Amino acid sequence: MRRHSGQPFKKFRNSLLSRYLGIIGFALVFIPILIPVSFLASWGVNRAFFPASVPDKTEVVRSYGSGLQLENAWHNAASSLSGKTPEEINERLRALKQDYPDASMFWVDAEGLTRLQLPEQSGLPSKWTPEDAVAYMKHAVDSDPFTVVAFIGGKSQAAGQGFMVFELPRKNMKPLTGGREGDYRFYGFFIFLMFSFFILISYLFFRDIRKRLLRLESGMTRTGPNGLPVRVPLGRPDEIGRLEQAFNHMVDELDDSRRREHEEEELRKSLISNLSHDLRTPLTVLGGQLYSFRKEPLSDQGQQALALMETKINDLSGLIDHLLSYNLLASGRYAMNLEDRDMLRVVRVSAAAWYPLWEKAGIEADIDLPEDPLIWHIDEQGFRRVLDNLFQNLVRHAGSGGYVGISIEQRHRKTALVIADRGPGLGSLSPAKGAGLGLQIVDLLLREMELVRETVSYPEGGTRVYIYPLQ
Amino acid sequence: MIPGKNILYIEDDPEIGEWVSRDLKERGYSVTWLTSGERAIEEAASCNLAILDVMLPGLDGFTVGQRLKKQYPGLPILMLSARTSIDDKLQGLQFADDYLTKPFHPDELAARAEVLLRRSGPPSAEPLELRHLLVYEKENIIKNRETGEEIMLTGKQFHIFQYLLRHLGQIMTKEQIYEAVWGEPYLDGDKTLMVHIRHMREKLERDPAAPEIIETIRGIGYRVRA
Repeated sequence: MRRHSGQPFKKFRNSLLSRYLGIIGFALVFIPILIPVSFLASWGVNRAFFPASVPDKTEVVRSYGSGLQLENAWHNAASSLSGKTPEEINERLRALKQDYPDASMFWVDAEGLTRLQLPEQSGLPSKWTPEDAVAYMKHAVDSDPFTVVAFIGGKSQAAGQGFMVFELPRKNMKPLTGGREGDYRFYGFFIFLMFSFFILISYLFFRDIRKRLLRLESGMTRTGPNGLPVRVPLGRPDEIGRLEQAFNHMVDELDDSRRREHEEEELRKSLISNLSHDLRTPLTVLGGQLYSFRKEPLSDQGQQALALMETKINDLSGLIDHLLSYNLLASGRYAMNLEDRDMLRVVRVSAAAWYPLWEKAGIEADIDLPEDPLIWHIDEQGFRRVLDNLFQNLVRHAGSGGYVGISIEQRHRKTALVIADRGPGLGSLSPAKGAGLGLQIVDLLLREMELVRETVSYPEGGTRVYIYPLQ
Repeated sequence: MIPGKNILYIEDDPEIGEWVSRDLKERGYSVTWLTSGERAIEEAASCNLAILDVMLPGLDGFTVGQRLKKQYPGLPILMLSARTSIDDKLQGLQFADDYLTKPFHPDELAARAEVLLRRSGPPSAEPLELRHLLVYEKENIIKNRETGEEIMLTGKQFHIFQYLLRHLGQIMTKEQIYEAVWGEPYLDGDKTLMVHIRHMREKLERDPAAPEIIETIRGIGYRVRA
């Protein structure tokens, strides 16, 4: 059990799921980091490629603090002038001008008269109406110079002493932050870059899966010279890797099974060969002894008995052959080599081999085959065997008819090979009648070649065997 | 020992071996009978034909046959076996010239042995008598015994006749003759062969309308009877 305890984790660690979760997790964890990193990158790029313009060295720009500081300072100064005489106010403004030499300042008394201006400004009304005050305030909001208006003697409400105004060019103010304008102009670009990176990683992840699946599919459909699928190369040990392993395992099993089948086939063939040898050897000895007898002086009865024994030896030999062939065929161990062949050519060669025997048996051969080839998908040896068995049957059981006809005819709209005889027909009892093993072999062989045998026997005698393709 | 008639016979079964070698000797052959393939190579040096059983102790007949063929490519080999499967026959015929299955008739064995010896041996100085013809195989001469005249055949006609003589008594299909003589696949060669046979008959036969030498086997091919 301990051996397997680490396996589920290892399996998960190697899985596609864990890799995908890794990508998602990395993306989620990275988002909080992504924003400051983008800011930082943007700032860095801006600093590196867009350095700040160097100020004119002859020009001295003084800074007086932030807007808030200036506002507070001005309001405090205004409050401190509560109840002061105009001269004291003038004095105070002059003192303040000393502190803010770049600033302009003036004050307006309770009657709306413009009093001290430091420096003198054109465009200011000498007598302020409420409209002038509003227009001035409206103009001053968020404009350059930075403007602060404070009621003299009060922080936020009029104390009846008028108001005093402070104007300072914004360049003399301290900015609210220490950064420069434009430091963050690349922020969006870097965010886009980071997200593009995640999209690319995801795309590569799925592209890799797709590629491996397609490779596996092509491997599964490819067959080797033995007709079986070929092994696929193994990739990473994830889900697809395990599928590849399983597929290779299946190919190995198939290969093993094919090999076992082949071995079994060879074993059976070898057994049959040995059996055939063991059965035929004593028959040969027997035949040899009988042949020796022929040289001895024998009575007619003795000669007849000898001839009968020789015939029976031949029959027995044929029967052994049939029995062993039937065994191979019935067990599906007969290796067929189906090819497109000129069937008529095979028939002619077979008939040529049988012709001398027919002549000897007094059988007239009427062979009427067309010259044009007739191509059938057959195993040549198997088809020769079919013809041999049929011709052998004809000689044994229908030899008395003294006729064999081989021709081509249309049968059920198919071109059929016809082997005809004028023997007593199927219903009659033949002295050489056996278990019909020869015909069973014929049928098994024809079935393997997708051919059909049809036998028509006539009551007046004669049989016609038709052989034609099933399709 | 009759020159050209020496047979090496390898058979492990004593009864079959004794019977076959006795029968072959009675037919005029000189037989060297071995019960295994051990000394086959040495013994085959003086033989004109090897007859081999397949299932032998030690080296099997196929291996012995292959070694013999490698050592003596011109030596004809006849496999004589009780193994009848097509696989065995095909395996044997990869190197052997003939394959005969047991049980067999000694006449058939002798006939096949004779064909192999004639095919592989030098042409006989004695003329072959074919009815009214005398065929001098060595000199490639055909004479009419009755008139004493020499019969002149064209190259192709002679090849066809020679092929039929090599398979004396056997029926050869038109395809077999055409492909052996012309060396091309038989497609529409029927008319060509027929024309050649007709011209040959005009020269060879007493009565070309009733041929005695080249026999037509209707629907199959031709045969020259022994």
